[in-house]
Amino acid sequence: MKFTLVKDLKGDTLIRPLLGGLLAFILLFLSSDILLKSDHIGLNPTALEQTLFGNEEEYIEPVTEHFLLELMHSDIFFMMMTLLTLSAVYARLCQNQSIRNFNIHTTMITALLTIIFLPLAYYLSKAFILPYIISFYAWHILAIFMAIASLYYLFIPNKSKL
Amino acid sequence: MHQSYRYAIAYFAIFGALLLISGAILFVSKLGLSYESVSLFYLGNKEQFCQPKSAYGLLETALPHLGAMGLFIFVTGHFLLFSSKAQKHKAILPIKLLFIAAFLDILSGFLIVEGFHFFIWIKIISFLLLQLLGLYLLFVLFNNVIKGIAFNKRTS
Repeated sequence: MKFTLVKDLKGDTLIRPLLGGLLAFILLFLSSDILLKSDHIGLNPTALEQTLFGNEEEYIEPVTEHFLLELMHSDIFFMMMTLLTLSAVYARLCQNQSIRNFNIHTTMITALLTIIFLPLAYYLSKAFILPYIISFYAWHILAIFMAIASLYYLFIPNKSKL
Repeated sequence: MHQSYRYAIAYFAIFGALLLISGAILFVSKLGLSYESVSLFYLGNKEQFCQPKSAYGLLETALPHLGAMGLFIFVTGHFLLFSSKAQKHKAILPIKLLFIAAFLDILSGFLIVEGFHFFIWIKIISFLLLQLLGLYLLFVLFNNVIKGIAFNKRTS
């Protein structure tokens, strides 16, 4: 978190490529996560319902409780580390306080909602499947936006008022 | 400290608590909290058709946990560098104990399958210590951050 103490991020010859690389990896992580989850558990209501509850006609077994818990446990860890780092970089680069706070709050809250909606869908009701998918896409899209905006602020000079 | 960092750290503390809670649910549902259930998980039972765990199998779980636990304790603890001197002093012992508890939690599984049955108790105790101290540290962090946000709003 040394970059939080460097005054001129754009002018620092080491911090700029370091943050640029980090943001590029965060972008790759977020897009890979969408692809992997889409293949692994499904990111449309029909596919996710089949994953969670199985389908007798197509001989698809439902996922086990342990599988779901392990998936959530590892997801929470990666989510918290990625979002903490991304928010810290974004907060340092985005000069507009209201846009900055709105994006950080919305991304974090939608990410927290995915952790709540998935077990609710599995244990309580299928009605939580769609809210899970919406919040999953919402936090990924917002985080991708924050990463792209940070790259823009970092490499395009004097445009950080956006 | 920047107000937006405080928000990000507050959310980090909430995610951290959820991580510990999900870990606790996994531990209880897989291993249980009694001597017998932990022993059954690691050593198996032929009558119940339960296979014993191999050291190599345990390594698959231990490897990501070694990286993740160290990083989690470090990141959580290092945020307290920004707190008052008294808070920092209070956090030293829990942080040291957390590293020791995390190490014993990972190591004891290997020692149990090697026949050191005493480590079943160490596994249970270190896990409980890890959970309690982790939640305590996250609570201290969250409390400090919320106080900072409130103070900043009053003064601005």
